[in-house]
Amino acid sequence: MATGRDKHASRSLGSTLHARIKRARVLMVGAGGIGCELLKNLVLTGFGEIHIVDLDTIDLSNLNRQFLFRKEHIKKSKALVAKESAGKFNPNVKIEAYHDNIKDPSFNVAWFSKFDIVFNALDNLEARRHVNKMCLAADVPLIESGTTGFNGQVQVIQKGKTQCYDCTPKDAPKSFPVCTIRSTPSQPIHCIVWAKSYLFTEIFGTSEDDAPELDHSEDSENRKEIENLRNESQALKRIRESMGSEEFPKLVFDKVFKEDIERLRSMEDMWRTRKAPNALHYEDLLKEVTGVEKNIAQKDQAAWTVTENFAVFLHSLRRLSNRMEETKANADTGNSSPILTFDKDDVDTLDFVAASANLRSIIFGIEGRSKFDIKQMAGNIIPAIATTNAMTASICVLQSFKVMRAVMAKDELGAKLKDESSEKSSKAEVKEEQIEAKTDEAFSQKISKAKMVFLAPNGTERRLTTEGLSPPNPCCPVCSVAQSTIVVDANRATLNDLVEDLLRLQLGYGEEFSVNSEAGLLYDPEEDANLNKTFAELGLNNDASITIIDDADEGARVNLVLHISEQHLGTEAKPIDLTQKPEIPLKPKAAPTETNGDSRPIVTNGLTNGVTNGATNGLKRTAKEAGLKDELVRKRGKVVAESDDDDFVIVDDANDGVICIDDD
Amino acid sequence: MADLPPPVQGPTAKEKKYDRQLRLWGATGQIALENSHILLINSGPGVVGLETLKNLVLPGAGNFTIQDSALVDEADLGVNFFLEEEHLGGFRAEHTCNLLKELNPDVQGHFISEPVESWLAQPDALEPYTLIIVTAPIRPGLLTKLAAHADQALVPLFYIHSVGFYSHFSIHLPPAFPIVDTHPSPETTTDLRLLKPWPELLAYAEEKTEGLESMAADDHGHIPYVAILLHYLEVWKKDNNGQVPQNYKDKTAFRDLVKAATRTDTPEGGEENFEEAVSAVLKSLNPPEPSSTVKEIFKSPECVIIRENSPPFWVIAHAIGLFYTKYGVLPVPGAVPDMKARSADYIQLQNVYKSKARKDLAEVLESVRFLERNANLSTHIEEKDVEAFCKNAAHIKLVRGRPFHIVPAEGDLKFGTNAKSLAQKLTFPDALVPIYIAFLAWDKYTATHTLDDLARASKTPGSSDADVDSDTGKVTSIALKLVDSLVKEASYTIDEEEYDTVRAQIAELARELVRAGGGELHNIAALTGGMVSQEVIKVITEQYVPVDNTCVFDGVRSKSSVFKV
Ligand SMILES: [Zn+2]
Repeated sequence: MATGRDKHASRSLGSTLHARIKRARVLMVGAGGIGCELLKNLVLTGFGEIHIVDLDTIDLSNLNRQFLFRKEHIKKSKALVAKESAGKFNPNVKIEAYHDNIKDPSFNVAWFSKFDIVFNALDNLEARRHVNKMCLAADVPLIESGTTGFNGQVQVIQKGKTQCYDCTPKDAPKSFPVCTIRSTPSQPIHCIVWAKSYLFTEIFGTSEDDAPELDHSEDSENRKEIENLRNESQALKRIRESMGSEEFPKLVFDKVFKEDIERLRSMEDMWRTRKAPNALHYEDLLKEVTGVEKNIAQKDQAAWTVTENFAVFLHSLRRLSNRMEETKANADTGNSSPILTFDKDDVDTLDFVAASANLRSIIFGIEGRSKFDIKQMAGNIIPAIATTNAMTASICVLQSFKVMRAVMAKDELGAKLKDESSEKSSKAEVKEEQIEAKTDEAFSQKISKAKMVFLAPNGTERRLTTEGLSPPNPCCPVCSVAQSTIVVDANRATLNDLVEDLLRLQLGYGEEFSVNSEAGLLYDPEEDANLNKTFAELGLNNDASITIIDDADEGARVNLVLHISEQHLGTEAKPIDLTQKPEIPLKPKAAPTETNGDSRPIVTNGLTNGVTNGATNGLKRTAKEAGLKDELVRKRGKVVAESDDDDFVIVDDANDGVICIDDD
Repeated sequence: MADLPPPVQGPTAKEKKYDRQLRLWGATGQIALENSHILLINSGPGVVGLETLKNLVLPGAGNFTIQDSALVDEADLGVNFFLEEEHLGGFRAEHTCNLLKELNPDVQGHFISEPVESWLAQPDALEPYTLIIVTAPIRPGLLTKLAAHADQALVPLFYIHSVGFYSHFSIHLPPAFPIVDTHPSPETTTDLRLLKPWPELLAYAEEKTEGLESMAADDHGHIPYVAILLHYLEVWKKDNNGQVPQNYKDKTAFRDLVKAATRTDTPEGGEENFEEAVSAVLKSLNPPEPSSTVKEIFKSPECVIIRENSPPFWVIAHAIGLFYTKYGVLPVPGAVPDMKARSADYIQLQNVYKSKARKDLAEVLESVRFLERNANLSTHIEEKDVEAFCKNAAHIKLVRGRPFHIVPAEGDLKFGTNAKSLAQKLTFPDALVPIYIAFLAWDKYTATHTLDDLARASKTPGSSDADVDSDTGKVTSIALKLVDSLVKEASYTIDEEEYDTVRAQIAELARELVRAGGGELHNIAALTGGMVSQEVIKVITEQYVPVDNTCVFDGVRSKSSVFKV
């Protein structure tokens, strides 16, 4: 019987689960809002070993919810400070922290497979997708979570058993046609994107061509205008060279708020059906600027007048230019000139973007926006609060108990069956597969108890909505693939060895297939230029992966992902080989793109879209419907059955027998 | 350049720190939070209370006070994040207060380690606090005293249980708790008044659709969909005795009419603005009738009679009620959704809605000023509050707060007005009422059992290993008695077989609560603390709709349920 520290956890969890959790090794990706809460919960429910990866540093705006951090920690590594703060509260827990990008190659499949569970506590789509992929490859359960304002969600992902993160399509960030932004804005957001992704970047950053918010696709209609816009950008770049000079602000202002506008205005066709823009005049505004309140930029909820915007524009431009000059002076005399990037929490950059956006809005007769609003729109700010993080992280841990039980069931049954089979050792090798099938079934059965949970902040009947986990989408490009690891002697193995020996001979591929790396196409029947190149020459190093896409007309198989493990193999050995022969199922025939077309809310932290109210997600059940369910419950048996286990697990299993609406 | 103003300052550090939450409840919500003083009466393992406070200290609640007479023991360290090895044997109130204060230097923290009985006996002990949170166990007499204070001083009172995998909280709000800023979901807030247009809106539509048939392709593809729908409504009315589409069938027929008017000889084979019009038909062509909740507010006694001490909410509600009586609609909120249109046309349309909204506001404001004078109102109502009310008029909400059940140490509990609905919900698997009953039984046991040597300290069931079996028996029989009396009080007939299932569930839950021995599981306490603090924020900011009035959580099935007790 546990005493002292562990008393409460051991009582509630039951001693077997509690003991297993103490031996568990878990990975937490992200030490932000959910991460801080999660770490506290993991430490205080008795998890034995926790690894934390986060590249971020602490910012003042984190402190309203990320309670492991204090003012004195600002600019320090989140992962390292989190480890230090949480470690104090339970000296018996082993915590490892990495101030690093989770996409770093050192966090490879082998590294991921060391963990019992991975928790995603991330704020962006890209990293989420990456961890999802790695967990699928390493066959490690992943608990994915996200929050937006009062909304939050938790999803358990297990390769082959449940949907993965990419089984349902996620919305990509919005982009705007370049001509709308540069020539014909009609909404405040167009002017904000212009200020942030064009003006700011051309003056202080690299180039607008890299801005994801701008869609540069050309067609016959816009070709000429895009050409004009290129010339305009070139001219602005030349002005950039006079940064630091007395006339620099006027040069920039006249260029973008006068000359470019006059050029646009002269294109009469464009304004036949639109309101033509009106240029602004530097000298006129300069005359009035002394009347502007000194603290105008602090009034971030107000709509500024044209002169107020002008004053903020001049000042932020001057501050930013000074910073550039300082950096230049301090930098080594290299060729690359310094750049600034827009950061919503960097006041100078925000002031500049807010004022420039509003000046442009005035020119085009569009409503202005307050600095507060512009910050949100330009910075893709997701509201975040302590309460939502607390709930979401707790639910992650609750789901992790169910995953741990599945792991336990598998291990226990495996050990038991192995014991039995070694007693009658004669046909041991035949049993191996049977044991795996049986333990896998035990695992599946337990993991199906895990749930997908959404917070329902405004629900009148509940505060959480719970759904059973859906099976993988058979058409998912990420999880419905076969995976395997290949050992490669990169200096000897050629692409031809892969194509002819490994794929055709060993795995039985026909003529029609292609080999792709993350960089693009390596081989297909029309592209054979790379066949004689070695893996080293192709840049396919340790931990890179390649995807084989089967294009056979008949009996095409799902995509095969091969992970490369680089090894020096003796010259007598094959330069490339499989570690295990993968099973590659056939592609499903014209399966639907989505398994269920419901309107479940998808809360995507890091994106502003897709957020819906938990109460409106169609899960509301009327009393009558619930009554009908009761009928069913009664028919299936009413008694809370005793099970053979005296652990807490019983309640879970027994209730699943009595109340079966969870899985509808 | 010389005569420019000096370099401007950025937002204050405080604004930056709270940036992410200001986007939810705004500056007014933040001020309300900063003016609050939250009292936590903590007992038991004390985790859920502190987790709740943590989530209120972080966003900047002005003041908190922890009353807790417990001393820190070894078990506390295992579940309580706010205690460390060095605090063993010290006052839990003091150490948790200090560690909480570290989370946010803007917040003032206080503690009281005097036993709750003697402390509460002092007159005015509760006077400083704007909101009270109590965690179980607490003696029924003390809880009754707190409830009486909540009633008399109109101070919101929260009561929380967190035991093992289960938790519960109930909220006792003032009898009238109105909310103007309910933050309705954006899909429900568009109110275009297409079925009750005013002359300026009709004139706009007429202007934009003039010569529709012979319009140039580019012009036709840029008519704002609002104008398209208004135009075809006039067409429809001519063919239908002046009636607008009445029902679903009419609306789909009307939708087909608009669809048929789309030009298909365009490069895209259609028109975006007409597509918008078609997809807006079903949701926009509803009579702008206020919901029954809103109409009930107009009829409630506080709204009908305005006195000199009437809170602003009722004065404004009365004024809007007058507006509704006169016109049959609420004031126009004034917002226009994005749509395919030329910017000049769109801005013009925005102005049509905005000027109407301003006109309606002016009329309501005039009534408010009249009421102020007439009733000799003690407070002056600000125009911006009237404006916010007009914008949200269709979504205002009134919660009728009331006391929750307190199990008496002696005698039986009366379930009162909600007995019937509770009894009915017993058999809804999603309602989780059995968990509530099990917690009431847990309270009854605690109220009637004391630790041997210290007669004053109450004993939680299962707290000593030796008594687990006998305690299980006791709590189960209390719980079954409670459910019997609920069903009896509600005079509710329940299918015998079904009732057996309910009783078996309640017995199982009682067993689980006893098995936890009054102990808390950290993540359940953290989750419950998250839920409670979220409701506290709603109540303090008077934004969003709080739980009315009880919420239970089942950590085994990851389910929660809200119902009235
Ligand atoms: Zn998938």
